[in-house]
Amino acid sequence: MSFVFKKQVLGLLDLIRFKKLVPNRRERFKNGSDSPLPKTYKVNEAAKIIHPGFRKAVLTEIRDETADTKTFFFRTDKPFVFKAGQYATLGCKVGDSEVSRPYAIVGTASDALDGKLGFTVKKTGFFSGYLFDEAKVGDEFTVGDPSGEFYYEPVKDAGKVVAIAGGSGIAPFYTLACAIADGTEKLDLTILYGARTSADFALKKELDALAAIGKIKVVYVTSDEKKAGFEHGFIGRDLITKYADGDFTVMMCGPDAMYAFLDKELAALNIPLRRIKKEPNCVGTRDVAEKEYKLTVHIGFDTYEVPAKSTETLLVAMERAGLKVPSKCRAGGCGFCHSRLVSGEYSIAGADKRRLADLKFGYIHPCCSYPDSDMELVVPKAK
Amino acid sequence: MRKYDAVVIGAGNGGLVAAIRLLQGGAKVLLVEKHNLPGGFATSFRRGRFEFEASLHELNDFGTADNAGDVRVLFDELGVTDKIDWMEIPEAYRVICTAEGLDATMPFGVEAYIDKMESYVPGSRESVTKFFDLAEEVRLAQAYSSSVNGKTDSKVMMKEYGNFVRAGSYSVNEVLDVLKMPQKARDILGAYWCYLGANLSDMSFVHYASMVNRYMKRGASMPKMRSHEISLALVDRILELGGDVLMNTEAVKILTDESDGGVAGVVLDDGTEIETRHVVANCAPHVVYGRMMDNVPEDVVKATNTRKFAGRGFTMFLGLDKTADELGIENHNYFIYDTSDTAKQYALMRTIRDNSAQATVCLNRAYPECSPEGTCMMYFTTLYMADDWGRLKPSDYFRAKDYVANKMIDRFEKDTGAKIRGSIEEISVATPVTYARYCGHPEGVIYGYESQYWDGLMPRLLMMGEDYKVRGLRFAGGYSMRLSGYSSAYFSGDISGRQTVGDIKKEG
Repeated sequence: MSFVFKKQVLGLLDLIRFKKLVPNRRERFKNGSDSPLPKTYKVNEAAKIIHPGFRKAVLTEIRDETADTKTFFFRTDKPFVFKAGQYATLGCKVGDSEVSRPYAIVGTASDALDGKLGFTVKKTGFFSGYLFDEAKVGDEFTVGDPSGEFYYEPVKDAGKVVAIAGGSGIAPFYTLACAIADGTEKLDLTILYGARTSADFALKKELDALAAIGKIKVVYVTSDEKKAGFEHGFIGRDLITKYADGDFTVMMCGPDAMYAFLDKELAALNIPLRRIKKEPNCVGTRDVAEKEYKLTVHIGFDTYEVPAKSTETLLVAMERAGLKVPSKCRAGGCGFCHSRLVSGEYSIAGADKRRLADLKFGYIHPCCSYPDSDMELVVPKAK
Repeated sequence: MRKYDAVVIGAGNGGLVAAIRLLQGGAKVLLVEKHNLPGGFATSFRRGRFEFEASLHELNDFGTADNAGDVRVLFDELGVTDKIDWMEIPEAYRVICTAEGLDATMPFGVEAYIDKMESYVPGSRESVTKFFDLAEEVRLAQAYSSSVNGKTDSKVMMKEYGNFVRAGSYSVNEVLDVLKMPQKARDILGAYWCYLGANLSDMSFVHYASMVNRYMKRGASMPKMRSHEISLALVDRILELGGDVLMNTEAVKILTDESDGGVAGVVLDDGTEIETRHVVANCAPHVVYGRMMDNVPEDVVKATNTRKFAGRGFTMFLGLDKTADELGIENHNYFIYDTSDTAKQYALMRTIRDNSAQATVCLNRAYPECSPEGTCMMYFTTLYMADDWGRLKPSDYFRAKDYVANKMIDRFEKDTGAKIRGSIEEISVATPVTYARYCGHPEGVIYGYESQYWDGLMPRLLMMGEDYKVRGLRFAGGYSMRLSGYSSAYFSGDISGRQTVGDIKKEG
């Protein structure tokens, strides 16, 4: 050492000070408050409202929308907040299976602070069929956190949004329109709403009422019927440019076929990716020869052997067997079902949305993975 | 009842390393983590075509195979270094304080750093050289202390590490006064303060010097697949060594033995009771003593109440649809301050309205391939030094997020000349509320207990023995004896893991 460090003229005093580090801290501790340590904290309490987690929800009302669409309203006992456009999972036990599906939240910010929310559901499959045919007011369900990134992001999105809805894909935009009407969100919204016939538009009365206050425009587009007051055909570049110009953000919610068509249309309009949002759909069945594999599942300290069909995702196989496993987006993106692969071959539906290191160390998302052999997985328990 | 030699609560950086150390010591180990991913803040997430790093700006003290830092040595011993693809960070940092006309870009390497400082602040060489001499002595003294498990011989300390002892009780500012370092050099040298989160009048010199020295001596590294790669590599190693790992599993209670008040078991969130006499808790003592244990001794309650929470985190992540070159983002790592007076800056960081300091990274400047061609990604971090985010009305939460995000973007553009706002493809924002929910830390704290001079690195290390109050219960992670930050958390897991192996062996 080229120099001698001294703070005090006598280095000895520095030494004494150093020696006091321990007694000083000891003294501080001794003089600390003996009041009980807090059980919780302000920010953590705020987190319980912003991320309320899975909670009980009671079905309070079922409203018919169209021949194949209904809105189901629920009451929970916790206030929450959400961004218009986000989804939440709705689940319950159906027969021997644990089932849940993500649906866009229908409701307003003030409904949410009262613990209320709704889901507009089209009858298409197993769970929606259950909701239509068997669920009744008073039944208990579970709802999850407001989730997903399908919402208006004022920091980056254009001041104008062109929303393209196919069928029950109107739900997030209806909620967004409500948020504009009550001042929660500030943007100009043009909704291009496609359905087969004029009888197939859910929430039309509500949307027309919202459109009357300005900032919101709704264009109804029928594919199978020509009728005055309705645009006719499929929603593509012509309708988009007819109703929007300048800088706008496109938000799409509808079936995959609609996305495939619109991807090309938007590319032709040179709309950059940063101006496009797409709400992913649940992964469905795959079109392959049906085979049955053996799926070994480790959850906690337990091990289960369940059948897994080649046509269905690993998540569905586990749910059919009544296993309680995590599920949220059911589209491969949120990572909630992140599980460790011990062995076996699998295929992923659509784009691989895993983290890079997940591939490297062998983790998969069962909600978007189909078995191609017998498999063994370590799956976190559902919370 | 299931029985383990040790249960590690929390798979954060400290818990993961502790579990490996326990397994290497022959213990039967259960690791439980309440989240569905390991790593705590050491993780990543996908948005669109981007995979964002959740927290790691740069891992210090890693170095290269032929200039290995302590973290690399530890990872070698754990058997994980080669499971991870590493890359090196090109330069140390750029610090900007527009109000004071300060804009300096500093390199790694002690010599290079001193030279660059001299070019910015002629006449600074002597004092900055002395700073690094002292810092090196700090490093050596700490290495000696670790080698004897904290039971240092005061004669050896005095003889070999006299400057360390004489400087060891002072704050950074007090020592820099003695070194007569020119103010501008102090401002540039002090830029890292927000990585430790106490102002330089409160922060112990030893802690700060130790960190700066580690950065300059060994440079900094990153795993190519974000910190998630490290976390999964550590889990991989735990599994190889036969450890049991349960994700989505929260330890809700630590059971104690009536005879000595020590650890007797752990209760999991589904009611499962695990028999064990040893716990390494990778979480806040406030949570463990406040919620997870009955009959906590009064002296522990008093000590815990005394401690001060460090910064609450806020991070904005941006995926941009142009390259860093196109946008004018020149550097990897920026510190942007309102003032170089760290006590004043600290005070400004108490409120959502006044805080506009940021530590910002453009990962592509270190690793161009981290995002798709033609794009780049950035993350902007700040700390809140009080609980403004807990005082917000829930209905104002999203507006507050947007307000801070906009402020960060404006500030970055104004102070660096880069233009990013029109190119944002993906954005994600994590607030103290997010951190509180994600890891369960009180108030969304991401830095553990603050590095106050009285509760800084030295006193914590010196009191490691007497801070062990409950038989069988040791801590790892940012709240423990090495304080916060990636490397510190890894070291804490190393220490508590090895100490617990010793505890188990003593019991026979």
